[in-house]
Amino acid sequence: KHWDDVVDEEEDVDTEDDVDPEAEYAAWKLRELKRIKREREAIEAREKERAEVERRRNLTEEERK
Amino acid sequence: MGSDTHRADERRFLDERGSSAALAPNGLNPATIMEKAVRERIVESYFWKEQCFGVNEADIVDRVVDHVSFVGGTHGANQKPSPFLCLAFKLLQLAPDDAVLDEYLRYGGDKFKYLRALACFYVRLTRRAETVYKILEPFLEDRRKLRRKGRAGTSLTYVDQFVDDLLTKDRVCATSLWQMPKREILEDLELLEPRTSPLGDIEDLLEEDEDVDMNGDT
Amino acid sequence: MQHLRNIGETGEVKKASAEEVHQRITEVWERLQEQKKASTTTLKERLQLREE
Repeated sequence: KHWDDVVDEEEDVDTEDDVDPEAEYAAWKLRELKRIKREREAIEAREKERAEVERRRNLTEEERK
Repeated sequence: MGSDTHRADERRFLDERGSSAALAPNGLNPATIMEKAVRERIVESYFWKEQCFGVNEADIVDRVVDHVSFVGGTHGANQKPSPFLCLAFKLLQLAPDDAVLDEYLRYGGDKFKYLRALACFYVRLTRRAETVYKILEPFLEDRRKLRRKGRAGTSLTYVDQFVDDLLTKDRVCATSLWQMPKREILEDLELLEPRTSPLGDIEDLLEEDEDVDMNGDT
Repeated sequence: MQHLRNIGETGEVKKASAEEVHQRITEVWERLQEQKKASTTTLKERLQLREE
């Protein structure tokens, strides 16, 4: 039917699940680890920024120049 | 409108813009969550007219299973809206309650991955931030494959990745996502517990996987 | 089509409860399993025919 676009076979992707459960789990684990790392890095960056603001606040007028 | 019925078409839903339409739990007006140009394309589309008229919460299940084979917004030169996007718009009109959403997400979602993806998208658009995190994060464990159709053509994604996009990106499926407070802010307010990954203790894992290549430039 | 029957003169459609949604999911799932079974059977039959 015309609203069900036929996906161009050439560029289509295989979305069948549980073909190779171990490889699929391993690929997921890698994605999950990247997410965790990304979140940790974001938190670390924000903490660093906060520490920097704090450090500047503690500087005397003289030191700031 | 009677409380036990929906209008079969979208006219009143769209007419009520900015007036008496019931707001979503996150305070947004469901009729204006999608951009005007996108809404217009949806209601003009053949799929909307043929498959979304007179549809209720249960019929959504049939429509997803029969017609949704990819996630996406609009595509092609004429920016045709995807069945996925049309059904998301229908959900905005139907405004299913949490019990119905739970059926889509869990019982139905276990069986039909695109139904879970659709319900996750809808939750992200309409629920409060802490609810969005609570409902969506468990599905970061769902590694089933999804077909995605975007401007760059067809590509492979996964339920967990789609959920991650919903939690971290500004725009998904031709729809600007409302800006949620960061997770840590909600944790500070004690609205959320820190997230625990199904992988377990993170410190151990990171040591073990120190060589995970983050950006290809390490 | 069932959903068209649900629409009365008023242009309204009955809301479905969570239980009805649950039931529909079961029905659709069972329908798909039947279809799958039928298509694998015909495939098997065809393969058998080819072997003969």
